[in-house]
Amino acid sequence: MEAFLLGLQNLMEPSVLFAIVIGSIGGLAIGAIPGIGPAIAIAILLPATIFLDDLVSLVLLLGVYGSSMYGGAIPAILINTPGTPVNALTTYDGYAMTRRGEASRALSLAYSASFFGGCFSIIAALVALFAFGPYLRDLGALFGQRDILMAAVLGSVLLIAAHRQTMGIAALLFGFGFLIAMVGRQTTRKIDRFTFDIEYLFPGLNLIVVIIGIFALSQALILLTGKDSDPPEARVGGGALLGFVELSKHKIVTVFSAFYGTLMGIIPGVGEFVAQFFSYSTARALSKNPTRFGHGSPEGLIASETANNAVPAAAMIPLLALGVPGEALTAMMMVVFFDAGIKPGPDIFENNSDFLFSLFIALLLINVLVLSTLLLSTRFIAKMIYIPNRFLGSLVMILSFVGVFSIRNSLTDCIFAVIFGYVGFILRRLDWPLVPLVLGLVLGSIILERMTAGASQVKSLVDLVNRPVSAVLAISVLLILCFVIWSMIKNRRSYKN
Amino acid sequence: MTECHYLLKAKRNRLNKLINKSGLNSLNLYLFDEQTPGPTNVPAFFKSECPPDGKVKLDDLFQFKRKRGDFLFSLIILFVALFFLISFFTETGWQSRKLPNEFGTYILHQFGLAEVDGKLVRFGRILKQSWVGPLLCLMVLIPAAIWNVRTSFQVHRYRKRFLLPTGIRYELEKYVAAIEYVAYFILYTVLVPTLGYLISTLFLGIFLTWRLGYRSGRWILIGLSSSLVIVFVFRSFLQIKTPINIWLYDLLPSAVRGFMLTYF
Repeated sequence: MEAFLLGLQNLMEPSVLFAIVIGSIGGLAIGAIPGIGPAIAIAILLPATIFLDDLVSLVLLLGVYGSSMYGGAIPAILINTPGTPVNALTTYDGYAMTRRGEASRALSLAYSASFFGGCFSIIAALVALFAFGPYLRDLGALFGQRDILMAAVLGSVLLIAAHRQTMGIAALLFGFGFLIAMVGRQTTRKIDRFTFDIEYLFPGLNLIVVIIGIFALSQALILLTGKDSDPPEARVGGGALLGFVELSKHKIVTVFSAFYGTLMGIIPGVGEFVAQFFSYSTARALSKNPTRFGHGSPEGLIASETANNAVPAAAMIPLLALGVPGEALTAMMMVVFFDAGIKPGPDIFENNSDFLFSLFIALLLINVLVLSTLLLSTRFIAKMIYIPNRFLGSLVMILSFVGVFSIRNSLTDCIFAVIFGYVGFILRRLDWPLVPLVLGLVLGSIILERMTAGASQVKSLVDLVNRPVSAVLAISVLLILCFVIWSMIKNRRSYKN
Repeated sequence: MTECHYLLKAKRNRLNKLINKSGLNSLNLYLFDEQTPGPTNVPAFFKSECPPDGKVKLDDLFQFKRKRGDFLFSLIILFVALFFLISFFTETGWQSRKLPNEFGTYILHQFGLAEVDGKLVRFGRILKQSWVGPLLCLMVLIPAAIWNVRTSFQVHRYRKRFLLPTGIRYELEKYVAAIEYVAYFILYTVLVPTLGYLISTLFLGIFLTWRLGYRSGRWILIGLSSSLVIVFVFRSFLQIKTPINIWLYDLLPSAVRGFMLTYF
């Protein structure tokens, strides 16, 4: 309880409250603009966080992360274009409702479902912190270097396996990310790896430079070389609060969708897409009107919006508990943790439990703030859909420069960022996923760091997996690999038949 | 017979009218799918469609179709990976490696498949060496790159067999078009230390707005004010240090100079 009150007190700082407001409203606007996702906003904001307090930085990024999916539902429902990729399923039923003249109903349902999903996973995390807090403090003893190494390996395998149709490409890009993490001088033995005698590469490639290049600059190039879309006019009416009344009529769908979102958020590498798929499919199976799914079913809309908004809070759990990010946005947040000198991992429950409470309470505040903003200003936010894409591209390019330059006032950083941006542009053109590249970079660093730190306790190969936690994780890795191989063989057979 | 013939003709005319009205012809109908960027990465162009039966498969959410240019890029990536494989022997400390005698037997011993006489070297001592990380990385990278080229080649062959377009000119044109904006970015990077952050950003903001075709006074003003807001937010609000145009500021009256130095 003491940690909870301390966490609450941390949030009462005016700068933190201001960051919550800016992050939430900014994230909402960014989510509502198709073509600009939270990843781009977080990538550009990352360098600025170096100059801000730790909690202010994290709350700002969490604001963008937690609120963008609320905003993404607006274009998904009004013009059939998801604001963020995770709102894709929302279009199936949301846009169908708009075509029936029920845009306001769809929006209010999406807001209330998102709010329920977000709050459900936050409250679940807070309850877990209250209930298991004293035990979680002992978790640190269970997790050694080798256990975290295995957790990072498991995260990597899950990440690649989750890219179902692009598994080969995901592995390839993960490998390249890992390779980028290798570049630079090894600290213990002073041996240069893949530096090719280029002085700039001796300290290694800066993570933020790569992230801004891959996510922000590449998207700027895509927008600049593309065409402006011409979205149809959409009208938004009132009655935004009625969604809560309708939501209460679909209790079962709402609760299990939130549960799926929370569960899938906890598993590294899985994320919003799989959570939505499970909740949507289950909602369809349980529905009295399954044929309405895809044609404007409120249950379909509830299932997808509740599940995807339950993920952000849950995705913080593997990051905080194991120090293993499960997706690109939490991987970017790792940078802030590193910068703040807080090492995410089991020790965080012992040393920074008030900080944990601060983060989850902040997420709760963000959800409340976003809902209130949406109820009051949906009409205004919906206008953001009509900002021309190419003009947005020019703004993203200008913002990317200041993001990269502010890290250490280096023009070489800007040149490297634009090289990564161009590579990212080609990858985006080919529809190759970018997330494995960034996670390869982050997880690769973790694997390398933990392997070196734990090496002194490894007499033989078995010592890597002879602790209870590492053994369980290693078995999980093997099981996933077996499942992947089995499903590949099965697919091949069915293709031949 | 005449009536039937007349009906068919009317139907064909109606279809032709529809095609003309929508601006499609046989050529771009054929290439239509190729020219629109994919759904997941470029949501701005994505129009969603639920399967007709409403049943969503997990694969629907991860739909991926290899595009033209994929095979060429996969080949380039394979060559880059092979370049790193060759560099492994000179760029990772491999030359100064410390391995136990009869390393093959030592590794087999780790899996319980062989016995080693004498004192065993700790496995951790090998893990600490600088080449282990790159080796692990290449163990993922090289097979994945080969696998990817193989899959990409299969798709390429399939396209050829079914006379689907395989030319990469359209993609290459897009890559070249992007180089123009890369050049603007590099020019901007070079100009910032000379002209200062404010002037360079205003210049780029206005120029890009004009270059992209938004040439009315209203749009130029929007471009100018957006750039000004970006400079203000990063310089004043986030307190980020960027180069300033000191010689221009020195020409200003002292009160304005002080204001500009603080906020822009």
